Amino acid sequence: MPSRIYEWLDTRLNLKPVQRTLLDEPIPGGASWIYVFGSVTLFLFVLQAATGMFLALYYAPTPDHAYDSVRFIETEVTLGWLVRGLHHWGASAMVVAIGLHMLQTFLYGAYKSPREVMWMVGVMLFLLVMTFAFTGYLLPWDQTAYWATQIGINMVGTVPLMGDFASRVLRGGEILGALTLSRFFAIHVLFLPAILIAGIAIHLFVLRRVGPAGPWTDERASLSAETFAPRQVYMDAVVIAGVFLAVAALAISIPLPLTDKANPSDTSFVPVPEWYFLFYYELLKYVHGPLEPVATWVLPLCVILIMLFWPFIDRNPVRNPIRRPVALGGGILFLLVVFGLLGISIKNLYAVPRADPSVARGRAIYAQLGCVGCHRIHGEGGAVAPDLSAVGDTRPDREWHVKHFRDPQSVSPGTFMPKFPLSDEQLHDLTSYMLSLKRAT
Amino acid sequence: MGHVEQPDEQPGGGFSTPVGSRRTFFHWVTAAAAGLVGLGLAIPLFSTLISPALRRRRRDWVDVGAIDDLPSGQPRQLDHVTSIRDGWLETTSRKAVWAVKQPQGGITVFSPICTHLGCGYRWDDSEQKFLCPCHGSSFDVNGQVVGGPAPRPLDTLPSKVEGGRLLVMYKDFKSGLPRSVET
Repeated sequence: MPSRIYEWLDTRLNLKPVQRTLLDEPIPGGASWIYVFGSVTLFLFVLQAATGMFLALYYAPTPDHAYDSVRFIETEVTLGWLVRGLHHWGASAMVVAIGLHMLQTFLYGAYKSPREVMWMVGVMLFLLVMTFAFTGYLLPWDQTAYWATQIGINMVGTVPLMGDFASRVLRGGEILGALTLSRFFAIHVLFLPAILIAGIAIHLFVLRRVGPAGPWTDERASLSAETFAPRQVYMDAVVIAGVFLAVAALAISIPLPLTDKANPSDTSFVPVPEWYFLFYYELLKYVHGPLEPVATWVLPLCVILIMLFWPFIDRNPVRNPIRRPVALGGGILFLLVVFGLLGISIKNLYAVPRADPSVARGRAIYAQLGCVGCHRIHGEGGAVAPDLSAVGDTRPDREWHVKHFRDPQSVSPGTFMPKFPLSDEQLHDLTSYMLSLKRAT
Repeated sequence: MGHVEQPDEQPGGGFSTPVGSRRTFFHWVTAAAAGLVGLGLAIPLFSTLISPALRRRRRDWVDVGAIDDLPSGQPRQLDHVTSIRDGWLETTSRKAVWAVKQPQGGITVFSPICTHLGCGYRWDDSEQKFLCPCHGSSFDVNGQVVGGPAPRPLDTLPSKVEGGRLLVMYKDFKSGLPRSVET
């Protein structure tokens, strides 16, 4: 049936030449799994566009309602949490896919003549995607979104002469507020998609004019060639399906809780950017004082310009990576720096003591033993025994607590605190809970 | 695959595009992958689209006052504040209902909207009738039409008494129809 419809349309619209143009493009050296990343990136863009459209059914881009509308998507809309999860992880996947796509292009020297324009358009597409990520991050209007964006815009402000003006244009005025949110929303869902689609069209147009680069040696390229369909299409489709399943698995298994609603007066909040900005976040920690502008704009600008004009900097016509030691070394060094910083940043983030599971277990033991009958924590519980609201400050000594739980009389003679038969592990957990009780909390 | 394949590569260059059953295999895997992704996306996206249509407005019992305050056989307008959920918005609005304690002890609660075209009516003590100011419909104490263009008796609202308090479930009805139809 579909083929009959196709035939019917073909006799009227003459589709066969279009089909040949789209599918019968020759690939020098034949199809390969290494060529899939461009298609994967394009698929992820379509995924982002589709999920984004459906999120926009509910999202309200004003400070009054943005947070509540995202929470509504998360908790009330049927499978809304899944669509939001796909959009979130789809963004991460897109950054990974672009990274691999650029890496493959770099390794194969596919940016070299005559494909310089394709590379430059590609770099601009990459920058557009990062702008997508930056503008999208603000939209949930929670604390993380608000403060991360605050920092991002302040960095723009460090650019001399035009920085202050540029940051005010970005914010839509002096403060990060209603005007910022509505313009970030408009940029994210209207301006950027339009520009990105045009960019993709140019990128693909150039690809079709110059053709794919194929293997890095002409001998291998000339050995065989095959059309884009069916084998490259099949490879692209298989990897795309795998990527989709991975993104869906992440969206299903890792919930994306909102932090508290954005509170401009709470300056104590420490935001953490998305993982793909972490290397840069880490870099900024090392640069202070007069050197700070170097990190906030000189370095990024240089990296962007080098990336953009890379085909003209690397003028070696050879494509084989083994015979391009300087370019390859430079690329490896760049990746080492980026991933090194990313690694350090992740390590630092996880070194911060987060919720210790033993604290939660200790709290459960506290409830189970009925400690609340005599002790009081933040106004809850009896008043016959000491108030424990800040016992972590008043008695920070772990050993004391362990001894005290084993035999209260040994450290506090005359106390009416009973002995409780606790295992070593339970003693440890209960003590962890005691030590977590501090004035600040 | 056990079948005889066309040579995958032709020495000396040229196209080595798969043909025959190999081509069919690639075609089917591609179609399966596209189907998987399409279906995997269509289900959540379509669900979010139709989600609000699947939800009926939840109605709660609202406390409108003490039954002891109601005089027997004499309608009383009872005001209450009700909260309305509209997506992520929650607004409160003041609603009124008319309650009549029957001589036998039961309580009838009327929607405050005239069944003709949706105006608010009032109780006239001297005439012992509900009078609608818009087009002159009138109803007796039991809500039956006694005059004017109203097509049906006043709409009654579900009510119950708990702990001496009158609880009402507020509803809206379509006006102008011969029978009560909830909106």
